[in-house]
Amino acid sequence: MTILKVEGVTKSFEGLMAVNKVGFQIEEGELSSIIGCNGAGKTTLFDLLTGRLRLDAGRVLLKEEEISGLLPYQICRKGVGRSFQRTNIFPRLSTFDNVHVAIISWQREDGNMFHRSEKLLREETNEILESVELQNERHLMAGLLSHGDQRRLEVGIALGTHPNILLLDEPTAGMSPGESRKTVELIQRLGRERGLTILFIEHDMNVVFGISEKIRVMHQGRIIADGEPEKVRANEEVQKVYLAEEV
Amino acid sequence: MSIQSKVFTKRGWWNWSGTWLLVVLAFLIVLPFLIKSGSLSSVIEMMIMSVAACGLNLMIGYSGMVNFGPAGLYAFGAYTTALLLVNTNMPFWFAMIAGPVMTAIAGIIIGWFCIRLTHIYFALLTLAFSQLIYTIVYKWYGFTGGDTGIVGIRVPDLLAPLNHYYYFTLVITFVSIGLMWIVVHSPFGKVVQAFRENPERTESIGVDIKRCRLKVFVLQSFFLGAAGSLYCGFNHNVFANYAHWLKGTEFILSCLLGGIYNFFGPIVGAAVYIFLEQLVISYTEYWPFILGIIIILLVMFLEGGLAGFISEKFHIIRMRYDDTQG
Amino acid sequence: MPIETLIRQTMSGLSMGMVIFMIAVGLCLIFGTVRVLNMAHGSMYMVGAFLCYWFNNVLFQHFTGSFWVVAIVAPLLVALVGLAVEMLLFRHIYSRDMIYQLILTFGVVLLIGDLCKIIWGVEYHLVSYPRFLDGAVNFLGITFPTYNIFLIITGVLVFVGLWVLMQHTRVGRIIRAITYDRDMVNALGVNVRRTYTVIFVLSCWLAGLGGVLTAPINVITLGIDAEILIECFIIVVIGGLGSMAGAFVGSIIFGLVNSFGILIAPRLAIGFSFLLMAFILIIRPWGLMGKPE
Repeated sequence: MTILKVEGVTKSFEGLMAVNKVGFQIEEGELSSIIGCNGAGKTTLFDLLTGRLRLDAGRVLLKEEEISGLLPYQICRKGVGRSFQRTNIFPRLSTFDNVHVAIISWQREDGNMFHRSEKLLREETNEILESVELQNERHLMAGLLSHGDQRRLEVGIALGTHPNILLLDEPTAGMSPGESRKTVELIQRLGRERGLTILFIEHDMNVVFGISEKIRVMHQGRIIADGEPEKVRANEEVQKVYLAEEV
Repeated sequence: MSIQSKVFTKRGWWNWSGTWLLVVLAFLIVLPFLIKSGSLSSVIEMMIMSVAACGLNLMIGYSGMVNFGPAGLYAFGAYTTALLLVNTNMPFWFAMIAGPVMTAIAGIIIGWFCIRLTHIYFALLTLAFSQLIYTIVYKWYGFTGGDTGIVGIRVPDLLAPLNHYYYFTLVITFVSIGLMWIVVHSPFGKVVQAFRENPERTESIGVDIKRCRLKVFVLQSFFLGAAGSLYCGFNHNVFANYAHWLKGTEFILSCLLGGIYNFFGPIVGAAVYIFLEQLVISYTEYWPFILGIIIILLVMFLEGGLAGFISEKFHIIRMRYDDTQG
Repeated sequence: MPIETLIRQTMSGLSMGMVIFMIAVGLCLIFGTVRVLNMAHGSMYMVGAFLCYWFNNVLFQHFTGSFWVVAIVAPLLVALVGLAVEMLLFRHIYSRDMIYQLILTFGVVLLIGDLCKIIWGVEYHLVSYPRFLDGAVNFLGITFPTYNIFLIITGVLVFVGLWVLMQHTRVGRIIRAITYDRDMVNALGVNVRRTYTVIFVLSCWLAGLGGVLTAPINVITLGIDAEILIECFIIVVIGGLGSMAGAFVGSIIFGLVNSFGILIAPRLAIGFSFLLMAFILIIRPWGLMGKPE
């Protein structure tokens, strides 16, 4: 079943066309990626999909329901989770609390003023922490975690909202090869175990070609290739524009 | 996955901090028998100020929104109670409840406008509304008594003696602070703190942050109004300067002095502020100068406030911000 | 309303506006660059006014023409005070939370306020007009106080001077660049910290100048710091935090609203200003000429 349909999405900033009539579809359970040079419009696309930016034109459909034009929190509640390119956590809350807050929001307990928060939804939070392998750090203040741990916490927070589709923006950014590998395994495991649809932005070609079922290449706001890894690798325009020095 | 909503049980509270609470409560209960009425007056003022400061800290410390005009809301509560007691035959308890409730309603309206803004613009709008309230109170002589205020407010005979009003204030203060404790430690409280840490991320995890902010604003208004009503009953008068922004800085200073990232900070700060003020005023007329120096020392050297300082050095008042029982 | 009153109130509003522009523009500059709302700005104004009184009426009583000496010396002294405050206190808090910045500037307000009380007491003081600006001119059958015209001219000169500074000097270009992108300017190797100090001292100088020049037409006493501060807040909100042209326009609007407001409903005049401030913040928070953030 198609879980996400993106049709003709366009966004420009003061004349500069950041995203230009982008369209693609994502099937349920798919593990796919978006690649492109810096400035190609990838993060802007994510911003548009999650409601952080308003579309100039086009539509976004989540399970046949239009979500373009909704506010970010509404889109999240419909089942879209997202992690950010620059680590976007709650620095002075503990690691546990970082995920706990997402779980609280997922269960719509964010208006609950009367129960003791510590007692609520503890198992669910620990479960996510174990998934991202941060259960030992759960009492640490999130701002003090190492970069790699913070990136995993980033994913953990997004998982806490129990999305149907998870958008990961450069999950391995700034990581050592070892940490990258661990994160990649994590992503694959999440896809398998939870049946999550995952779409990620990446620059590390090993990661991209290693685990993606489908790859979309963006260049100057447009999608210039969309398909299985081998097909994309063989695409001439992609080779010219992006992969010249790679692989 | 089941949701395990454990209802708040008294037993969960019974740890060392519960013992401290009892000690403090016992001390406060016997206090009138230990000190003179002049000092008892000061303690009542400290309690009222701590309700206001704690309420304000829901905004400043917990949600990171700087309300630069708490005085307007405080005066709103005080004047609501005063006007009801003077112009109508409503019973005292009704006027006392009407104060915070009406202020909360005012908070809904004022808050609705303010939460659309952030940072300095938010602070300036809260200041503008506070000064508007001040102008209305100051100028509307026919209704609010203008700059002469309202004097001679009736209090039931039961509460007329200072000792009795002390216990009345003690109960209300405990209940208010207790309610704030519950809110701060609830899931809502955690979401509010997440908002302070990262508003954008909070929104992206599915929280309606506008509504969240409005709830905090209304809560704060309620408790500021409650403090105002309490003071009205204590002082038997209300004056326009209750709404002046300088009064508001007293509340803000109490929060900062005690430490905004600690639940008990505003309480400690309120007590210390009033204590220092009364001490210094008895020696010199230059209290603003001394206060200025205190502020400078506080900001430059004591960022966590007094409670933060004590908490670091002696680990007595622990900051209950994260789950350390997991 | 007779045309005479209309013109007179307009002139009165304009001169009030010009004067307050001189004071408000400093606040505006600081906010545009350092992003701190300096509550002590009103205190600098008050110190300028008190210094004017002190030199004029006490120290140089018998020295005619002293007003002009004061007009030069007093703002420089105020600028020195500002330098001390910036170097000792403010420069350490640029990276702190807004609440701490606001409250530190408030602490300085209390300090300076009480120092003025210690030095000059609580009485009201008056300063007389400098001799050849005393009196009135007759224009189209309407009389205007000469001093008001002087203030209008001075205000325009200050605006022009600042505009030239901003557009045609290196310092001005740096200041404008900082308003747009502070980090970039830092990365370009410019000593941003020193520029902050320059901006701060300049704004204190302007506030002091405003204090001296308004001394003859206002009462000099404690409390004028808070009064002028609120008025400056209103103006920078209307004009747009960080925009000099906005401060100019905002000051004129403020002056006119006040001047005509007093005619219509004198008791509520100051209330109008807060209403205007709230209105602008709700409708268009970045003011008439500021940039939306």
